[in-house]
Amino acid sequence: MALLQISEPGQSTKPHEHKFAIGIDLGTTNSLVAAVRSGQSDSLPDENGEHLLPSVVQYSADKILVGAQAKQNQLADPHNTISSIKRLMGRGIDELKTQFENLSDVLPFEFAKTDSAVPKIKTAGGDKTAIEVSADILKALKLRGEKTLGDKLEGAVITVPAYFDDAQRQATKDAATLADINVLRLLNEPTAAAVAYGLDTGAEGVIAVYDLGGGTFDISIMQLKKGVFEVLSTGGDSALGGDDFDHAIAEWITQQAGITPAELSSGSLRLVLHEACKAKESLSEVEQVTIDIEFSDTNKWSGILNRETLNTLIDPLIKKSLMSCRRALRDAQIEKDQVLDVVMVGGSTRALRVREKVAEFFEAELKVDIDPDRVVAIGAAIQANALVGNDAEGNLLLMDVLPLSLGIETMGGLSEKIISRNTPIPVSRAQEFTTYKDGQTAMALHVVQGERELVDDCRSLAKFELRGFPPHVAGAARIRVTFQVDADGLLSVSAKEETSGVEASVEVKPSYGLQDAEIEAMLKASMEFAGDDKDARSLREQQVEADRVLEAIDSAMADDGDEMLSTEEREKIQQVRSELAIARHSATQTQELKDAMAKLEKVSAEYVARRMNASVQKSMAGHQVEEFNK
Amino acid sequence: MPNPIFKQNYFEIFSVPISTAPDLNQLKEKNHELQQQVHPDRFANSDDAEKREAMQITSLVNEAYNTLKVPVTRLQYMLTLKGVDMNGETDTSMDGMFLMQQMELREEIADIRSQSDPLDALDTMSRDLKTQAENLLLNFAEFYEQDELEKSREVVRKLQFINKAQKEVNDITEQLEDELI
Repeated sequence: MALLQISEPGQSTKPHEHKFAIGIDLGTTNSLVAAVRSGQSDSLPDENGEHLLPSVVQYSADKILVGAQAKQNQLADPHNTISSIKRLMGRGIDELKTQFENLSDVLPFEFAKTDSAVPKIKTAGGDKTAIEVSADILKALKLRGEKTLGDKLEGAVITVPAYFDDAQRQATKDAATLADINVLRLLNEPTAAAVAYGLDTGAEGVIAVYDLGGGTFDISIMQLKKGVFEVLSTGGDSALGGDDFDHAIAEWITQQAGITPAELSSGSLRLVLHEACKAKESLSEVEQVTIDIEFSDTNKWSGILNRETLNTLIDPLIKKSLMSCRRALRDAQIEKDQVLDVVMVGGSTRALRVREKVAEFFEAELKVDIDPDRVVAIGAAIQANALVGNDAEGNLLLMDVLPLSLGIETMGGLSEKIISRNTPIPVSRAQEFTTYKDGQTAMALHVVQGERELVDDCRSLAKFELRGFPPHVAGAARIRVTFQVDADGLLSVSAKEETSGVEASVEVKPSYGLQDAEIEAMLKASMEFAGDDKDARSLREQQVEADRVLEAIDSAMADDGDEMLSTEEREKIQQVRSELAIARHSATQTQELKDAMAKLEKVSAEYVARRMNASVQKSMAGHQVEEFNK
Repeated sequence: MPNPIFKQNYFEIFSVPISTAPDLNQLKEKNHELQQQVHPDRFANSDDAEKREAMQITSLVNEAYNTLKVPVTRLQYMLTLKGVDMNGETDTSMDGMFLMQQMELREEIADIRSQSDPLDALDTMSRDLKTQAENLLLNFAEFYEQDELEKSREVVRKLQFINKAQKEVNDITEQLEDELI
């Protein structure tokens, strides 16, 4: 555009450098994105003003739908519409139950046969891993962040349940890579909630964060002191949440209706779960609800569920969470009466029975005045903002721990603990091994995570194959293996033969994760769907262009608008300028913005011409015409 | 050049004197101060080499803090400062009296459910073990001061026994409490 932009040489018209970063809460039921704007962290709404993005993805042959619309289509298209995918993150095929002993084992998806260790769900849009489905949710959130902030994102902090193991964390990071997001940090959800809560209230001392979401449960005992958030211990269950309440109610419904889970089609399974969830939510408000379900034209069922029955259904699940609380307190060496505040996080803490039981356990009043759905994303955004360097005081410090012990398999299938649970991270431990055969140049280590003695009872993380150390007689080699857990809670392994100083090459074979080649293939595949991303980028570019145009016209008008334009001309330009300013913030299509800019260009064309002339005249003033002909 | 912190001993890292009973509050505060400077979050915008170093330094600080925080690892570490490595030691001689006491205690724990108030009995045991551990700490300080390293070692071995028993008491307390909810 030809508007004259006049600025002193060496002076940029760009506003001061502020880097944009977002916090993402990738939830089982709902997801959110938040950012710090003008010093305030808040979740970002979509164009309809909705902050929560349902974590539901619908795949069809030619498009991918994420969020509320996908959720609406779920009953009609159960096979291609995927929800609660977080429960499958980092899980292997052999961990998926094939026998439907109870309802919670039944997943309403069909799985494709595959050689990969990672299960794939059959959809109309192709076979999808949990990582790809999560990546599609992350893309939608990233896009919302970019549209709202109107700038390039430096990166994101993505939250994970504190109790997520290494495989689940790695899967989350892989999903972010696939969504083209620079992960600044994986942050534990209760820690994120504590940051938002602590900074908001200025609380200092020991707090407990009880975080019961749709599919995961975490308890963290933390110490807050002047911007330092130190996790003393954490515990939980990465497969316990509101979903399980739904399943328990659904099971009760099917029992009452005299139907076994195996008889249910995936359509009616969805329907029962849907009704169960609705009943659960209503029972936080009313004493009893009537449930009507049409299993088929000939098979209808109607019944009443009251609070008392609901309580007996969910009490065993709540009890499970309280056992984790007790262990966490013991690990932190904290007595109940030392706990200053119990902060309730996650949508499932809306259930009255949960609040009642947790208050009873901690013998304390609960903090329920924060929005349990949004607090995690808000805390993540605060850390993201600090990590990209916008936190001027720079004294926010989060010290977290390893949630589950890491061990290696030894003789007899036993797990020997290398790093025990609740050790502060990052942490590194070295262990020395030797060879047991003459000339041995390689060895394999099987790393597991969990508290149990037997390897089979722990989660298998990976087999590490160490190769390339020089041959020695049996027992003479000294192989020092270093296990390093980084600040995201992710493990890496390196090895060195001490007598020769030779570094071994380490090949990782994740038990349930993806091989690097698989991630690459997915990245390629995702390029084909990159249309949406490209649109977002070009919109962003036009927004930057619009900012430049607005600044140029404003500075020109301030300079000489009064002298060079009639009142009428000035008003006309001002009006079209406001139209562009509005479009800059509200336009969702590149074309809209381009049109608004073209319009401004047109109405100000005469003004631009006059300024050009004036500027030429000014530079010619005092000179002879002949001089210019030389 | 590697960071000079890698050459310091754990007590030096936190600028506290070598002692069997360092001021734990001071240790904690020093730890926070150090973490403010070295934690990987402070290096989110740095290059990969600096990030890596931040991770290694913070790992070291965490290891140092954990070692000094817990009595038995603290004492073991103090022994390594005098050239005694207790890892993989084969000589585990122990005075007979102590071993007898330990065996009796184990039997008592195994039999705890037959007690009229098992939780109360476990509480008493736990307190006893705590007192024993505190006394061992004092013994160690004396021997260590006089460079009686062999005796110091035996004290650490006893402390290991006590800790194991304490863990068993905790585990069974946890089990019993879980059954009660």
